[in-house]
Amino acid sequence: MSIINNSSSAFYGRSLEQMSALRSSIESLQTQIATGQQLQRASQDPAAAARLRAISRSEALREIEEDNVAKLGQDLESAATELEGISEIILRARELASQAGSDTNGSGAREAIAAELEQLSEELFTRANGLTLTGEPLFAGTAGGPAFVRAADGTVTYNGNTASATVPVAPGTEIERGVHGQQVFEFDVNGTPTMTFALISGLASALRGGAADPGAVARDAIAGLDVALDASTRNQTVIGTRLAWIEVVEQNQFERSIASAEERSRVGDTDVGDTIARLQQTLTALEATQTTFSRVSSLTLFNAL
Amino acid sequence: MSSTLITIGRSGAAAARANLELTAQNIANAGNEDYSRRSLGQSELVGSATVGLYSGVAFNGVRIGNVQRADNALAREQARATGSDLARADAELEGLRASETALEQSRLFEGLVDFEAALTRLASDPLDPALRITTLETARQLADRFQLANNSLSDARELAQSQVAGGVDEVNRQAATLARINEQLTRTEPETAGQAALFDQRDAALEALSQELGISVEFEERGVANVRLGDGNGPLLVDGTAATALSASFAADGTAAFDLGGAAVAPATGALAGRTNALTVQADLQTQLDDIALSTITAANNAQANGVAQDGSAGQPLFSGTGAADIALALGSADGLATAPAGSPAQSRDTSNLSALIAAIGADDGPVAGSDALLLGISSRISGQETTRTALFAIAESAQGALLRETGVDLDTEAANLVRLQQAFEANSRVIQVAAELFDTVLGLR
Repeated sequence: MSIINNSSSAFYGRSLEQMSALRSSIESLQTQIATGQQLQRASQDPAAAARLRAISRSEALREIEEDNVAKLGQDLESAATELEGISEIILRARELASQAGSDTNGSGAREAIAAELEQLSEELFTRANGLTLTGEPLFAGTAGGPAFVRAADGTVTYNGNTASATVPVAPGTEIERGVHGQQVFEFDVNGTPTMTFALISGLASALRGGAADPGAVARDAIAGLDVALDASTRNQTVIGTRLAWIEVVEQNQFERSIASAEERSRVGDTDVGDTIARLQQTLTALEATQTTFSRVSSLTLFNAL
Repeated sequence: MSSTLITIGRSGAAAARANLELTAQNIANAGNEDYSRRSLGQSELVGSATVGLYSGVAFNGVRIGNVQRADNALAREQARATGSDLARADAELEGLRASETALEQSRLFEGLVDFEAALTRLASDPLDPALRITTLETARQLADRFQLANNSLSDARELAQSQVAGGVDEVNRQAATLARINEQLTRTEPETAGQAALFDQRDAALEALSQELGISVEFEERGVANVRLGDGNGPLLVDGTAATALSASFAADGTAAFDLGGAAVAPATGALAGRTNALTVQADLQTQLDDIALSTITAANNAQANGVAQDGSAGQPLFSGTGAADIALALGSADGLATAPAGSPAQSRDTSNLSALIAAIGADDGPVAGSDALLLGISSRISGQETTRTALFAIAESAQGALLRETGVDLDTEAANLVRLQQAFEANSRVIQVAAELFDTVLGLR
């Protein structure tokens, strides 16, 4: 008769191994529930962990991009406000020019028109040197100083540059911060380059007696102011288009943030219902194993002797 | 005639008692892992070559034979080989996990992303002093994280190295023990309790050796074990009563090399092999980490060199150092961040140089992608190793089970033996009693 030897230490070793495996899986399920995260270490699921890293990076960058968009939106709003004011000033200057163009004006009336024009020029200068909420010039391109400076003789010159800074608002998308002063205030009239400031102040000094025929000068100035108005409204349109673009980008960012939150939850979050069910199952298995272990281990022949 | 009966009964009772003692010994050692079940050989004792009336039936009882030790060389070799494989996988996994922890807990990837994000925020308003200082501080944190990752990784490496050194000590100790046991074996009477105990010690030493490195064992006369490293053609670690010393040395990059009596050896299995593999992986990770640090330093400093600071002066390096160990923030002031390209005047809000840096940091071959690849590489490797380890564990477990089936003590069997031997003892006592009664009967004849 051959007897199969069933080593007692092997039985104890096996049982302990099984119970400790169950216990460690219970602990890992418990950690998943407690932390709400499925992965405690990247090696538990390398692909999912890499996905989570990519998501967390894009979330971190998107947060910054959202701030950037908000700030850019404010800057563009400020620029739009200033441009609107500038257009109104040019319109008013054009009205004054057409009034002054009438030969029926006396010198007193021309003086009054010249005074208002000078006032308008002053306001235009202030608006052209408008600042963002953080104190940066709106129309100086990428230069840091004021956009326009006035010389002692009253001549206004552009102090900025023609570069245009861009702000990253989405992966691979950058929006230009604004328009520079040359685009708004410098243009050609009948083939001669000039500036809005020069037009208005030139008209004012002509009306004050600087020209033999102020009426003719005023009538000529109307054509120039038309071009100036055109430049200003064109840039208003540009800014408006960018603001619309920003709205699209913001909407996009919102949608991406929802999508990425969903993805993060799908990849990395603990499915509580599922995990609790599995925990219960494992607990039951452990209890059953413990019960059967104590039953079986008490079944020794020594008890019967 | 009656005296023969008494002798037979006495021998039987003695055999039963000896067997009971052995059973008690087995029960006592049921929890001893190194113990192999013993049994007692018995043979019939027949009076022979005597000229007597009943020489044909001259029974003399039973002779207590030798102590036999349950053993199975094949199962033992299997258990050693599979245990060696499992020890390698365990040790390697331990080393890899430590590296993963070092790289993951230093949060290097997050540090790089934070730096990238701070640069992106700076692009919205490059002259804002608050944003500039935040960016500079994020760069400082990034340098700290590189150093933290580097230190944690070198801690993991030092731990693995000290474990390798400890493993080598263990091998040398066990080899010396084995050589001593071999010597005692040559002087011990075969098939005695003493020899069985020495065999237990010998197998325990072999088991301990195989945990540290893969061995092949040849047994000589009287059970003397000669141990070779690796397969049957490997160099001799223990040759009879002589043990050769194993030593380990570490290269500059932390990888380990072994030397047995002057000749280079490379263990293929066992914990030493696993730790050696882990050290090689850690050296590789260190290279990758240094590469990432260097590419960060290069990208940042190149961008600085291509641009001008807030005051229009040429950009100075952002980081100093050449690797993860010595990366440090070199730029003293946030004004020095070169956001504008070279040639720009002071106070320029041109961010094209900054955009170039952001692009370099986030590029497909840039530091962010590099650290992601680093983490993905090590975690994938661990995940694969865990699968291998599970398989090796099952194999080792079944080999161990097979060995225990051959050599382990089954308490139920021993309990049954107790009952059986007790009965045998009582029966033999009864034989003596019968003999005495017979004797009395004969004496009482009148």
